[in-house]
Amino acid sequence: MDERSILDHQFVVAAYTVTWVIQLGYLAWLGFKWRSEKRNAERRLHNSR
Amino acid sequence: MKKLALGLFPVITVLLMVWGYHQAIYVAPDDALQGYIFRIIYYHVPSASVAFLFFAISLIGSIGYLAFRRSNPARALAADAWALAGAEVGVVFCTVVLTTGPLWGRRAWGIWWTWDARLTTTLVLWLIYVSYLLLRRFAAGPQMQTLAAVLGIFGALDVPIVYMSNRWWRTQHPAPVFGGDADSGMKDPTMVHALLWNMLAWFCWGMLVLFLRYHVERRHQQYAAQEAEEALAGAD
Repeated sequence: MDERSILDHQFVVAAYTVTWVIQLGYLAWLGFKWRSEKRNAERRLHNSR
Repeated sequence: MKKLALGLFPVITVLLMVWGYHQAIYVAPDDALQGYIFRIIYYHVPSASVAFLFFAISLIGSIGYLAFRRSNPARALAADAWALAGAEVGVVFCTVVLTTGPLWGRRAWGIWWTWDARLTTTLVLWLIYVSYLLLRRFAAGPQMQTLAAVLGIFGALDVPIVYMSNRWWRTQHPAPVFGGDADSGMKDPTMVHALLWNMLAWFCWGMLVLFLRYHVERRHQQYAAQEAEEALAGAD
């Protein structure tokens, strides 16, 4: 592999990695938000009893 | 049946993502001019298409909120949740476009960024929807959703400008892959198939995340409504 091919490969890997980091990071944040809303609902139910 | 479909959809999406990756990296050939770096297109273009679609969902949700806010508040709240979900997931995909694009540009053009029409209008689109999300996060009071809906509608006006920018003006950005003139687009059917598979995969992924975000917002709305009811009951 010449230097150009190596650099091209590294940039493609970087682009794909960045894409997955952004998407999975957002999914994880959404999961935390979901759990926090669920906890709020449970606390409300507990307090109303 | 509904539960089965809900359970199957994420599995199908993951399989599509794996298949799309396989097509992009192992099946599609190198581009004759750009070589291996061209493979960024299989994540870059689908992300842009899905972002546009979700900004359109946000537009419809915003119009729905403004149309129903007095006549049918329950329906207006559902429309508002779609508007927020569309805008937020759209921003995530637009962020992917704005990070993979410069990585591609650095190798293809020798520069990370240039202020040409396509890149600038895309950045403006991202900034408009980020300001929409900041407005929703930090503004309070009954007018917040109305203001956000108006901003969401104005933001969506930039989508056709972004789409048409490399047709209306001379840009550093390449000609459109689909719907361009005879010289533009992909010539190799294997490349077209790889792009279409990745488009389908990212569309399914986007829908999955969009439904999740919608349900989180609906739960939040229910919680806020109950809290308001209790506060009113306490005041009485």
